[in-house]
Amino acid sequence: MAEIVLSGVTKRFGDFVAVHTLDLAVVDREFLVLLGPSGCGKTTTMRMIAGLEEPSAGEIRIGGRVVNDLPPRARDVAMVFQNYGLYPHMSVADNIGYPLKLRGVPREERAAQVRAVAAKVRLDGLLERKPAALSGGQRQRVGLARALIRKPTVFLMDEPLSNLDAKLRVEMRAELKHLHHELAVTTVYVTHDQIEAMTLATRVAVMNKGIIHQLGTPDEIYNEPADLFVAGFIGSPAMNLIDGRIDDGTFVAGRLRIDGLGRSTRESVVLGIRPEDMTIGPAGSGHGDLPVYSSELTGDSTLITLADGNTRIAVRADKTVRPAIDDVVALRIDPRRCYLFDAATTRRLAI
Amino acid sequence: MSDRLLKYLLLLPAILIVVLTTVYPLAFSLITSFRDWDLTRNLEPTGFVGFENYVYALTEDYDFYDAVRVTVWFVVLDVAATVLIALGLAVILRRNGTLHRATRVLLILPFAMSPALIGISWRFMFNPEVGVFTYVLGVLFPWLRGQAWLADPTLAMAAMVSCDVWHWMPYMTLVLLGGLASLPRDSEEAARIDGASEWRVFLDVTLPQLRPVIAVVTILKTVFALKMFDQVVTLTGGGPGNRTATLAYLVYRVAFSAFDMGAASALAWILTAVLIALGAYYMRFLIVKAH
Repeated sequence: MAEIVLSGVTKRFGDFVAVHTLDLAVVDREFLVLLGPSGCGKTTTMRMIAGLEEPSAGEIRIGGRVVNDLPPRARDVAMVFQNYGLYPHMSVADNIGYPLKLRGVPREERAAQVRAVAAKVRLDGLLERKPAALSGGQRQRVGLARALIRKPTVFLMDEPLSNLDAKLRVEMRAELKHLHHELAVTTVYVTHDQIEAMTLATRVAVMNKGIIHQLGTPDEIYNEPADLFVAGFIGSPAMNLIDGRIDDGTFVAGRLRIDGLGRSTRESVVLGIRPEDMTIGPAGSGHGDLPVYSSELTGDSTLITLADGNTRIAVRADKTVRPAIDDVVALRIDPRRCYLFDAATTRRLAI
Repeated sequence: MSDRLLKYLLLLPAILIVVLTTVYPLAFSLITSFRDWDLTRNLEPTGFVGFENYVYALTEDYDFYDAVRVTVWFVVLDVAATVLIALGLAVILRRNGTLHRATRVLLILPFAMSPALIGISWRFMFNPEVGVFTYVLGVLFPWLRGQAWLADPTLAMAAMVSCDVWHWMPYMTLVLLGGLASLPRDSEEAARIDGASEWRVFLDVTLPQLRPVIAVVTILKTVFALKMFDQVVTLTGGGPGNRTATLAYLVYRVAFSAFDMGAASALAWILTAVLIALGAYYMRFLIVKAH
């Protein structure tokens, strides 16, 4: 039973503010993902929860207890590191058993627990090896086993999959998901990979430049982005963000005219539309005729880039659609899938 | 000219210098160690005497065993103190504060001084009447007030060891700092989170990973301590009696006070053999580590 509450937490490194008066409540047993580009403060936030960095201001509570002044060892958190953080001079078994050794667990009991947890993460047979003799995926399993054996109140994972190759990453992701389901321990997970965030998280906190832009379920941050940053960061390929204005419910930008967006009139708005929520048709049949800038077949679909002056608009069309470069096609947009953002405040506007 | 020939021709100057300055004197002293050569009577070595010089050193010359005892004591105390203090300092200076950075720069100063000069200035500072060390130590420990440090066998050895530790510890600290800087930080952080106190982190995680660097520092310092000479001449003069006379100092005295070049060469080669063995071990250690 442990919820984590950060109130007004700030971290400064000299003049640089890495984390800016952050408020965040991680609910007991949830899998919270801190998602953001590199340098956004997500790892610093996690390191403050772990006790590896001291907050410059604010308060951190774990399970109701203020932990600001507690060293990492007194916080009952376990952490999995991006670069594994293994003890290179110890065998796999000693690596996994080290937390128990520190707690004075007798040798036989330690060995039994190590075997049990090693079997869980499929490391049996490798217990006598040194970390250097393991593959990346195996090393990360050792890191995971060392965290699991503690039965901590909180798991912290700092980009644990980013050093693994693509295939292994998908495999380990499924394992992490299953483990969290099985153990139901409060988990904070840092990543810059939105697929990991979407697939693993109970809730996602999208961070940039030291602040949380949006905190919500994967569904919410994908379908109801709070602002331009979240809209542009979540989704691959990224959401199209087109500068323009609203004229009595019609969005106007370059050669595009999209009606059905309410009744308002407003200068400087940004229209957001995901590539998969548009399609193309013969010229004259949609919301504007645009030349094809490039056309890429990705296998399951065709990714078409259209040019409207200097604006590029990406469209994910059916794989049977194969326009040639410089063909002029009509862009068809579902107005119900459009988002409008205030260009000045970057916040999403109600339609 | 063929490339093959040119290759050796280009190496020739370097080889010549090494042969003239190192190989020839070594070989000359090795041969001399098997010959009789009293410098007061002859300018050249005279007859061959086989192992007589060595036998004399090992069986007759009691100064040799005294010198071995002094050298062993000196090496053990000196190496242990230098490495332990350097390790402690390196751990403290590892942090990246302004004061830590400034101290790291200042550290190089003692090492930039000539060892003979250090000995002379320390001799003044240990002067029983005007020496600053004698005064300060006398204030801190009243029973040492007015003590003639260099006249007491134990204290003279302590003075010589502290002098050499002062000289070498900064450099060794820098080497160990380099070793610490190359360690991955996350294994130490992992240990902290796994429940280790700072002391356990150091013992269980930092120290084992630093072992190769500690080994290098220890071997190197042992070699340097074994050939201790400068401060014996300038600080203690080998005294009181011969209680701080190291092997290197004994060689010097036999050669240039007694002018018995054969015996001096034999003594020098006994020391050289130990140094070569340590050097070989050091090189093998480095090469094994490099693979």
